[in-house]
Amino acid sequence: MAASQPSPKARTAIPWVTTVARLVLGGVLIAAGALKIGNPADSVVAVKAYQLLPESIAVTVGYALPILEIVVGVLLVVGLLTRVAAVIAGLLMLAFVFGIAWAWAKGLRIDCGCFGGGGQLGAGQEPTYLLDIVRDFGLVLLGAWAARFPPGRFALDGALGLGGDNRDEGEDN
Amino acid sequence: MGKGERTKTKSQSAREKIKAQQAAQAARDRRRRIVTYTTAGVVAVAAVGLGWWYAASISRSEEATSALAPITVQADGSVVMAKPGVNAPVVDIYEDFQCPACKEAERVSGQTFKNLAAEGKAKVVYHPITIFSQEPTKSNSVRASNAVRCVADGKQWMALHDLLFENQPPESEEGFKVDQLKEWGKEAGVTDPGFDACVTSQKNADAHLAYSKKIGDEQKLTHTPTVKLNGTEIDNQVLFSPSQLRDEITEAAK
Repeated sequence: MAASQPSPKARTAIPWVTTVARLVLGGVLIAAGALKIGNPADSVVAVKAYQLLPESIAVTVGYALPILEIVVGVLLVVGLLTRVAAVIAGLLMLAFVFGIAWAWAKGLRIDCGCFGGGGQLGAGQEPTYLLDIVRDFGLVLLGAWAARFPPGRFALDGALGLGGDNRDEGEDN
Repeated sequence: MGKGERTKTKSQSAREKIKAQQAAQAARDRRRRIVTYTTAGVVAVAAVGLGWWYAASISRSEEATSALAPITVQADGSVVMAKPGVNAPVVDIYEDFQCPACKEAERVSGQTFKNLAAEGKAKVVYHPITIFSQEPTKSNSVRASNAVRCVADGKQWMALHDLLFENQPPESEEGFKVDQLKEWGKEAGVTDPGFDACVTSQKNADAHLAYSKKIGDEQKLTHTPTVKLNGTEIDNQVLFSPSQLRDEITEAAK
């Protein structure tokens, strides 16, 4: 995989950076999913507030998103199927960036619903689109890193002798 | 890769044997990796599927079981749906036609309220109110609420009520326009010749806003939908789970 030979120093640092990226991205996903999972109705309302998806798809996404976030988050934290999980997590975050940018561009005044809640803002509340986008884009980058340099230290992939750099993992999801 | 193993001859060197063993080992490792990855992948996908299925199943709406219980539009704009003689338990529904969470509550649990009333297990009272203070949501809500107040017949009222939630406009733009409301009135079977004029003139708007304010203060409403069972607010999680909602209301009927 390595295109150029990294210096020995970088070779020791890279897996640790991956571990940090996994833990941060996975932790955020688990928190975001856990705050939403008990209230599928809220989740559906939050998705619909974006006015991006047709009704029936918005309902399905609203039901599936919290559990998907949790499962992908757990995979990242334990470092199992690291590359696949990192790609899915990165794509999720990219979708959120797009969604928030869309809401912003359309002039909607909504809470992103990132960590539960969501929907229209009340009087006196201001949307925090820029902050949400910057945060989610940072998470996209973490996902990209973890997908490029899996599995990092403290990863089940490593412990099971399933180093991230092999070609099997892409085929089995 | 394993071809060499079968055609061993004495002349083969030990090195080749080792090479073959290594190849076999590599193949075993590869198989193990595939099995482990496949297993983990399948478990992960199954977990997502299960979670999705669970969320969908707790939110599954009831089917309509029978005709609606008699519906009476009251002078103050609230609407009672109950079988004759059923006075308890009382389920008060405070909802705003423009509020997305109310639309979701109607989508998920609306039929449960109707069924319970039809089964004589509850007296359901609808209180359409306007909770929004900003535009365009406030005017949207008022126009819609005015329109249902233009309907005196219970069945037609309920049909229009359902249509309004189904056709709820986005919160960011003007909706529930007068022409649309007239159209939906027709669709709901409203026959009153005064309906169109009543919708256009918004003659009930003031009465509706006064009622919203009064009921909001009296009931200390902070959000819609608020659903109260004998005066106590039903928890959101229960409200959005038809089977739990049914249990809680039937329990109160005992």
